[in-house]
Amino acid sequence: MEPEPLQNGDSAPSAPVPAPPSKMSNLEESLKLEHQFLKVPFEHLKKSMRVNHRMVEKEMSAVMLTVAEVSDRDMSREEAVHHLTSLVSRLQGLKRKLEESNKTEQLQAQRCRARLDHLGMLQVGNQREWSDIRVKRILVDYMLRLSYYNTAIELAEHSNIQDLVDVDVFLEAKNVIDALQNKEVAPALAWCAENKSRLKKSKVYDIPVVHVRSKLEFELRQQEFIELVRAKNSMQALAYVRKYLAPWGSTHLKELQHVVATLAFTSDTECEKYKVLFDAKRWDCLVEQFKQEFCRLYGMSLEPLLNIYLQAGLSVLKTPYCYEEDCTKEDPLSQESFRKLASSLPFSKQHHSKLVCYISKELMDVDNPPFVLPNGYVYSTKAMADMAKKNGGKITCPRTGLVCNFTDLVKAFIC
Amino acid sequence: MIIMLREKPFSELGQEMELTTTIKDVFDRVSKKQRLSSSKTQEVIDLVEQEIEQVLSKIQQPPPPNGGETNPKAILAELNAKLKEFGPTNQLDSSQKDLNMALGKYTKVIDKTFITDIAKAYRSVDFDQHTLNQIIAAHFYRQGLFDLGDLFTTEAHEPDLVSLKAPFLEMYAILEAMRLKNLEPALNWARTHRDQLLLKGSSLEMKLHRLAFVEMLQKGGDARAEALAYARTHLAPLARTHMAEVQRLMGCLLWAGRLDASPYAELLSPSQWELLENEVARECCGALGQSCESPLHVAIGAGVQGLPTLLKLANVMAAKRQEWGAMKQLPIAVELGKEYQFHSVFVCPVSREQGSEENPPMIMPCGHVLCRGSIMKLSKSSNRAFKCPYCPMEATVLQCRQLHF
Repeated sequence: MEPEPLQNGDSAPSAPVPAPPSKMSNLEESLKLEHQFLKVPFEHLKKSMRVNHRMVEKEMSAVMLTVAEVSDRDMSREEAVHHLTSLVSRLQGLKRKLEESNKTEQLQAQRCRARLDHLGMLQVGNQREWSDIRVKRILVDYMLRLSYYNTAIELAEHSNIQDLVDVDVFLEAKNVIDALQNKEVAPALAWCAENKSRLKKSKVYDIPVVHVRSKLEFELRQQEFIELVRAKNSMQALAYVRKYLAPWGSTHLKELQHVVATLAFTSDTECEKYKVLFDAKRWDCLVEQFKQEFCRLYGMSLEPLLNIYLQAGLSVLKTPYCYEEDCTKEDPLSQESFRKLASSLPFSKQHHSKLVCYISKELMDVDNPPFVLPNGYVYSTKAMADMAKKNGGKITCPRTGLVCNFTDLVKAFIC
Repeated sequence: MIIMLREKPFSELGQEMELTTTIKDVFDRVSKKQRLSSSKTQEVIDLVEQEIEQVLSKIQQPPPPNGGETNPKAILAELNAKLKEFGPTNQLDSSQKDLNMALGKYTKVIDKTFITDIAKAYRSVDFDQHTLNQIIAAHFYRQGLFDLGDLFTTEAHEPDLVSLKAPFLEMYAILEAMRLKNLEPALNWARTHRDQLLLKGSSLEMKLHRLAFVEMLQKGGDARAEALAYARTHLAPLARTHMAEVQRLMGCLLWAGRLDASPYAELLSPSQWELLENEVARECCGALGQSCESPLHVAIGAGVQGLPTLLKLANVMAAKRQEWGAMKQLPIAVELGKEYQFHSVFVCPVSREQGSEENPPMIMPCGHVLCRGSIMKLSKSSNRAFKCPYCPMEATVLQCRQLHF
C-alpha cells in the first residue's frame, strides 16, 4: 500500500532507506571489514623482504668494493688469495643466510594465502562456524593488545587458528614493551631505526615524506636524557643532548628547550612544569605511543577489534525496551554488564516497524500478521490460532489474563 | 547454541565469492615474483662467486717454470672489469623493482576492496576494563572453556571472576557424560527441575528416558528383561502425560536387538544424541537464566551487521565529530537480520517516529495503526472525524485504541 503523502509539515525528513540486501551481499559486506586480517601478515612479509634485500645489497656492494680496491693496489699472490678467499666465504655465508630468510618469507607468504582462503570460504551454509572463528580471532586480537599473551596463544592453539592470528607480530612488540617497562629504551630505538623508511611515510597522502621523522624516536631520546638528569649525570646528559637531541631542534625547538631545562632541577622538584617531566608515568606513555606507532605501521586499528565490534553492535541493538524488567534473556542488553558498556552509546534507529510476537518470538509480518485483543494487547496470528486450537476457541492474554474468543480478535495493518 | 549440529565441511560448499578470487590472483602473482626474485638473486650471487673462484684458482696456479712472480694485479683488474660489466647490484635492484611492483599492486587491491579504517565510527568512550573482562570470562566459561577462562582471569589480574564458572560446571559435566553415552547426570538434572520443565511444556525427561530405553533394547538378548524393568520404573509414571510416546516405546520391545529393522529405526540414529545434547544445553541455560547463545557472540554478530552502515555514516559525518560523540540516537537506521530483533519497535508510517510510552501506537477502526501524535494532528485535536491516510474509512480519536506489542 503506497501511502499518500500527508500535508503534515512537521514530519521529520528521513534519509533514504536501502532495500534489505540479499544474504550473500550481506556476507560480502561483512568481509570488507577484514582489511587488517590481510594487511598485517602482508606488511610482515614486506618487512622481511626489505630486510633481506638490504642485506644482499650491502654484502654485494661490499664485495664489489673490495674487488675494486684490491685490483687497484699492488699486492703479493698470498695477499690476493687471502682477499679472494674471504670474499668467497662471505658470499657463501650470504647464501646460507638467504636460505634461512627465504624459508621465513615462504611461510609468511603462505600465511597471507591461507587468510585469503579463509575469507573465500565464507558461505551462507557455513556462516555459523565461520562466525564462531571470527569471535575467536577477535578475542585473540584483544588478548594480544592487552599483553595477555598466554591466553592469546592458548586460545589460538585450542581453536587451531594460529595462521589466522598475529601472535608472532605482537610478540615482536612484546620485547620492546617489556624493555620500556623496565625503563630501557634500546630495543625501542632499534625498532625505530629498523622501520625508519616506513615510519617516514605520511599516511594521509600515502607518499614518502622525506624529512618527517618518527616522533617516537624523539620521545625516547628525551626520556633517556631525563633519566641521565635524574641520576645527576650532568656531563653525560649534556653530551647526550648534543649528540641525540640537538638534531630535533629545527622542528621541535620549544619541546627541546623544555626538556633540556630539567638540568637546572633535581628529580624531586616541586615545580609543576618540571615535576611532570620526572614523573615515572612517562614510561607508560612511551609504551602507549609505541603501541600506536606499531599498530599504524602494520595497518592495524588502534583500538582492539573487540571494542570496535562491540560498540557498533551494542549501539544497533540498543532500544529503550532492553532496559525493562521483562527484557528477553536472548538480548545481550538484558545483562547488567552489557548495559553498563552501552550506557553512553546512542540508541538504535528503525525506519520501519518490526514487531515481535510476545509468545512465539517470531516476526509479525505479512505472513504472520498481528492480531489485536479487545484490551489492545497484540500477538501473532499463528500464536493465537495455536492457542485457540488447544483451548476450544478461547484466548487467554498471557500478560493481562484477559480471556476472550478467537473471533473477538481484530487484524492490525502495519504499513 | 553451544553445541552445533554437524555442518557441511567447507570443501563441499558452493561457489566462492568473486571478491576473493580476484585478490587471490593478484597475490599469486606476488608469490610468483617472489620466487623469481629469489632465484635471480641466487643466480647473481652464484655468478659472482664463480668469477671470483675462477680468478682464485688462476692465481693459485704454480708459477711458470721460467718466469718470476706473476703479478695478480692484472688478473684482478680483469675481474673487476668483468664484474662491473655484469653489474650485480643493478641486476638485484631491477629484480627487486619487479617484485615491488607486484607488492604495490596487491597493496592497492586490498586497500581498494576492503575498508581500511573500521575504527572511523568508533567513539572515544571508555569501555570499562573490568566489565569487559567480566564479559569475556563469562563467555569462556559459558562455552565450556574452563581452563582458558582461568588462564584469562589470572593474566587479567581478575581472580574474582573465577566465580562466574560455577553455574556452567554442572552443565558441562552433564554434557560430557552424555557424550560418553551416560545419561545419569542428565536424568538427575531433569528430575530436579521437573516442575520447571513441565511449566515450559518441555518433554526433556521423556526424551532422555526414551534414549536410555532404546540404548538398552539394542543390546538384545537378556536386555529385553532389563528394558522391561526400566520401562516399569521410569516410563510408566510418564504414561499419563505422554501416552502416545510410551505406547510407541512399548512397541519397540518386540524388536529388541533388531530395532534397525523395525519401523522405529530412526530412534537409533546418532543425531538423536546430538539433538538431545543441544536440548539439554538449552534447558540448562534456560534454568540458569541464561540465553541460548553467548551474548558476546550475539553482540559481535550485531556489530558485524551494523558496522558497514555506521562506517558509511561516519564518512558523511566526518566534519561533525563532536555531534557524533554527543548523539542520543543513531541518525540512520541499520538493517539487522531478524535474529537480532529482540523487541517490537513500532515506527509510525506517517511521522516516522518510534512508538514510546508518551507516543504509543494506536489502531483505528479500519485496522491501520498510527502513533498517537499523528492521530492527534489528523483530527486537529478535536473529536472531528478524519480520514485514514491509507484507506477511505473515517474515524474519530475516541474510536482509536492503544496497542501493546
